[in-house]
Amino acid sequence: MKSTERHIYSLRPSFHRRVEGAVVWVLRIATLIILVAGLAVFGDIIFKGSRTVFQTSFPFVNVAFLTEAPKTLYVFEHEGASFEMADDDFRAFRTGLEEEAAAAGLPAPQLKTKSYVYSAGGVFPNIVGTILLVMGSMTIALSLGVASAIYLNEYAKQGPVVRFIRLAILNLAGVPSIVFGLFGFGMFVIYFGWNVSLLAGWFTLAFMVLPVVITASEEALKAVPKGFREGSLALGATKWQTIRKAVLPYATPGILTSSILGIARVAGETAPIMFTAAYVVRDKLPWEVERAIDFLFQGVMALPYHIYVVSSKIPQNEYSERVQYGTAFVFLGIVAIIATTSIVLRNRLRSRYRW
Amino acid sequence: MSAHTLMEITPTTFAPPIADKPAQADSEVHQTLIDIANLDFFYGETKALHDISLKIPEKEVTAFIGPSGCGKSTLLRCLNRMNDLIDIARVDRGTIRIRDIDIYQPDVDVIELRKRVGMVFQKSNPFPKSIYENITYGLRLQGVSAKSRLDEVVERSLRGAALWDEVKDRLHESGLSLSGGQQQRLCIARAIAVEPEIILMDEPCSALDPIATARVEELIHELKSKYTIVIVTHNMQQAARCSDRTAFFYLGRLVEYADTQTIFMKPSDAQTEAYVSGRFG
Amino acid sequence: MPDSDRPAFAIRKTRTRFLGLTMDECIQAFFGGNALVAVLVLGLITVFLFREGSGFFKQNQSNIEVYRTAGLEYVDHLKRQEADHTALTRYLFDLRVRVFKHHTEVEGATLGEANQQLIAFDDYSYDFGDTVEPLREAVYDLSESVTATKTRMLVNEDRLVERQQLRDAGAVEAAEAVVIEEIDLVAARQPLLAFRPVYGQINGQFAASLLSVLAAEAPAMPTAELEARFTRFHELVEQYIDGFPTVEAALNTWDPNEPIPTWKSWTSFITGERWLTASFWQDWYGVLPLLTGSLMVSMVALIIAVPLGVGAAIYVNQLASVREQNIIKPCIEFISAIPSVVLGFFGIAVLGQAIRIISQWDWLSWVPGFPVVERLNALTAGVLLALIAVPTIFTLAEDALQNVPRAFKEASFALGATKLQTIIRIVIPAALSGIISAVLLGLGRVVGETMVVLLCAGNRIAIPDFTTGIAAFTQPVHTMTGIIAQEMGEVVQGGIHYRALFVVGIVLFFIALFINFMAQKIVQRYRISIG
Repeated sequence: MKSTERHIYSLRPSFHRRVEGAVVWVLRIATLIILVAGLAVFGDIIFKGSRTVFQTSFPFVNVAFLTEAPKTLYVFEHEGASFEMADDDFRAFRTGLEEEAAAAGLPAPQLKTKSYVYSAGGVFPNIVGTILLVMGSMTIALSLGVASAIYLNEYAKQGPVVRFIRLAILNLAGVPSIVFGLFGFGMFVIYFGWNVSLLAGWFTLAFMVLPVVITASEEALKAVPKGFREGSLALGATKWQTIRKAVLPYATPGILTSSILGIARVAGETAPIMFTAAYVVRDKLPWEVERAIDFLFQGVMALPYHIYVVSSKIPQNEYSERVQYGTAFVFLGIVAIIATTSIVLRNRLRSRYRW
Repeated sequence: MSAHTLMEITPTTFAPPIADKPAQADSEVHQTLIDIANLDFFYGETKALHDISLKIPEKEVTAFIGPSGCGKSTLLRCLNRMNDLIDIARVDRGTIRIRDIDIYQPDVDVIELRKRVGMVFQKSNPFPKSIYENITYGLRLQGVSAKSRLDEVVERSLRGAALWDEVKDRLHESGLSLSGGQQQRLCIARAIAVEPEIILMDEPCSALDPIATARVEELIHELKSKYTIVIVTHNMQQAARCSDRTAFFYLGRLVEYADTQTIFMKPSDAQTEAYVSGRFG
Repeated sequence: MPDSDRPAFAIRKTRTRFLGLTMDECIQAFFGGNALVAVLVLGLITVFLFREGSGFFKQNQSNIEVYRTAGLEYVDHLKRQEADHTALTRYLFDLRVRVFKHHTEVEGATLGEANQQLIAFDDYSYDFGDTVEPLREAVYDLSESVTATKTRMLVNEDRLVERQQLRDAGAVEAAEAVVIEEIDLVAARQPLLAFRPVYGQINGQFAASLLSVLAAEAPAMPTAELEARFTRFHELVEQYIDGFPTVEAALNTWDPNEPIPTWKSWTSFITGERWLTASFWQDWYGVLPLLTGSLMVSMVALIIAVPLGVGAAIYVNQLASVREQNIIKPCIEFISAIPSVVLGFFGIAVLGQAIRIISQWDWLSWVPGFPVVERLNALTAGVLLALIAVPTIFTLAEDALQNVPRAFKEASFALGATKLQTIIRIVIPAALSGIISAVLLGLGRVVGETMVVLLCAGNRIAIPDFTTGIAAFTQPVHTMTGIIAQEMGEVVQGGIHYRALFVVGIVLFFIALFINFMAQKIVQRYRISIG
């Protein structure tokens, strides 16, 4: 077909047009690089980590990894076969051999072993510790944060005090997490004498995440239409009744979903808990305490800190890689679930709550 | 001539080559510049314009009137394809021809089109730049950078928009420092700086006070000699005061299109009469 | 007013009061109190950082005082002289490696033959190496003596603290029982002062023996290039000998009783080039290597993250289709949820090695610093930090672009501008301050990030060698955040090292506040300009 006649609006191939096309591609590639980089991190950890966490036979999930504490791995050869055992199994095995030998009147066999710390067992106490830290700190952060947001959004009148509070919140959001760690260490661990404990970790993390929660809650409160409040006030309700009955019920879903991102942040931070709440290793599980009050004043093992320990404090080899990737996988999985929940819920709510 | 008769003549689809057009154009009093035929327009699933056909003559002021949501702004924005910026908007059927070129053909360069079909918006929107930069923006886009040429265009455009005397001493102040009416005239000056053939005005006075409105209307009157102007307004007095022809839209349909005189004095349609006499809208 | 007399239209406030407040006012006060928590926390952070860090400068001053009084400063002059000689020896060794390479690779000699040919060279370098022996022995003896003095002084300081603590605890008798040994500093310094004339002799001999080595027959160099290096060595030795009188003068003018000015304690922290702790000789707390490390890592991160983040923001906001937006935005949000410790682990496990392998590709050898020597270095950490900064920069820059009024864009299009022209001339200028503040906040995140740098920056506490140019970025560094995380767990509470870490925390805190402040200032300005 013959192309239509040229006219004043004809498309003209031009240098500018080609430049424009090139620029669009450059920007598109920049975006792609980011996505690919993210994908590389996720892919690597999911791919290698799933080898630890999943298995090919029933029940397909490596239950031991999720339910046991970290243990030392012993690798040795005995009677031509090579063995890999966790420390408790190894001790039982050795005792068995010794008894066998004693019964037969032979000298106890010498086992040449290599041991790899943390490379056997699982990460159960770490999962528990992380969950405890998240729950406690989010409870504190939510109660403080929502109350602050209610004040700022419902009660406060524009003025120097409110400006100052907002400035503080903004600046608090920019404080590096390690500084929160130092602060928590100086105040809770040393000055209050709480030592390395859940309580110290809770407060440190709660203060760190406070700005996120306040901002999220305020946005949720702002999204409630003004008419609801005016309608309620016009019926003779007090301010508090209005907030309780006509504002909070509609803002709660928004507050919770947006705060989930805060949870992801709390669960993911290592620096603030390094000197306030985390132990490298602890034999007892958190509920194995003598007095109830001790529960608050005990340190815990936590997933992020465990990743730090196993990736930097022990020699790298095939055995440690197994636990490294496994831990990273479990941790990333938990954080990803939290983040996905938040993103999905928020998108749902956005479409549902349109007033 | 009413729109209804035109509709019968114009072929609906597959607009044939331009050969048989001139004969038709001769029958017009004024040369037809924009020829809209059987236009259907959708926002997503919603049909916003139903089978619109009308011819807009050259160097006259054509007003689109009608109640809010009747599609008059949508139609206006079809004329320089500003609707392209909205992802879900599309022309479903029909053609818009400017000087016998179908502007929705794929070989049309939207950029070239918009250079020739200028637009002034409802809310004045000068760029956060100086007055001078605002006016020279379009020319600079085309690569004009000679100072003397730019100076000349700035003065001519500002004079054309009756703003020169008010701002000639502060050309390098921000465009946002002007008053509302001045800002709107700045936007008109900016539009005429690139010397378009057609200027589309989307309720240009709705945000202005009566005095500023009067000045803009005066300006429209002066511009008529050089440009074809299409203006959307829901102020009927404004349409009556400054347009030569008026089209009345209702619920996405063109109800009546005729000389402004006819529309306001003896409209042939009952809805038009009800609207222009202020009984609804 | 009696109840019966109250008008039917009772609208006066008569609610129950608590502390003079109505119920609603109480609730308001409660919420207001909560809102103040943010202010309180910020205040407490400041207070506690200063509370723990404030003692540092006083302790550092006494640290430097001991350094001078015990005579370590004196011996350090000699040690430096010795170290310079060692550096020259290393230069010779490097030259030997080059010559050896020349013999084996260019001339095709076997290893044995090459070594044979180098015998003359080896003799020459042994002779050179031996010249320092008298000085080395003297330094060794003096070091022993001053370290002993220093240890005694430190023990005394500890005892003083112990006594004070006992006294504070009310145990006066026990406090009195703490023995504080009298140190006869004059006697302790005697060997140092006695060494002065001896040093004159040693120095003279040293210079003479160096000169005689130089004057001896030089081993032949196989190529002109190596010959030039050898000549350069001669020049360096001559410069070295020229420096001897300066050392001698420094020793002779050394005054152990000269007081240390207060500012010295500050400058040794702020401009100190050494962060040396738990050393048997002398501890130094200079923040400069850490600050340099932090800045270098952040620079790498921003150089990568700014184009990517801003570019992606422009693409997604201005050019991408709605479908693309709906995919890309959550993905980037997801990236921001990756915990930093996981990224750090990824750096150790994968990226460090990957960068090293890539840097060994031949066609990349023109890149300065390639191939990289260390797996974990500023570059590795910076690349990972970029992934942390990108979501922040992207999200905020995208917000800024989103906030550009649609009207500006429409007006530009209506004048016949293309998309690109509109973006460059209208959208970006209007969003510029927002974008800049996004970049600043990204910088804030990067500077404050701990785990990635702790795991991946290589943790070598030294200012990288900037004479190598950009290649310095492939050297390992240590950072302010990293040092706190690494050393905080191992220090004595209340000790100088402990306080030094808090002071680093204070520096970090104020850098973060400053960045935040700048970002806010810029955004405020932007709001005004948009109107």
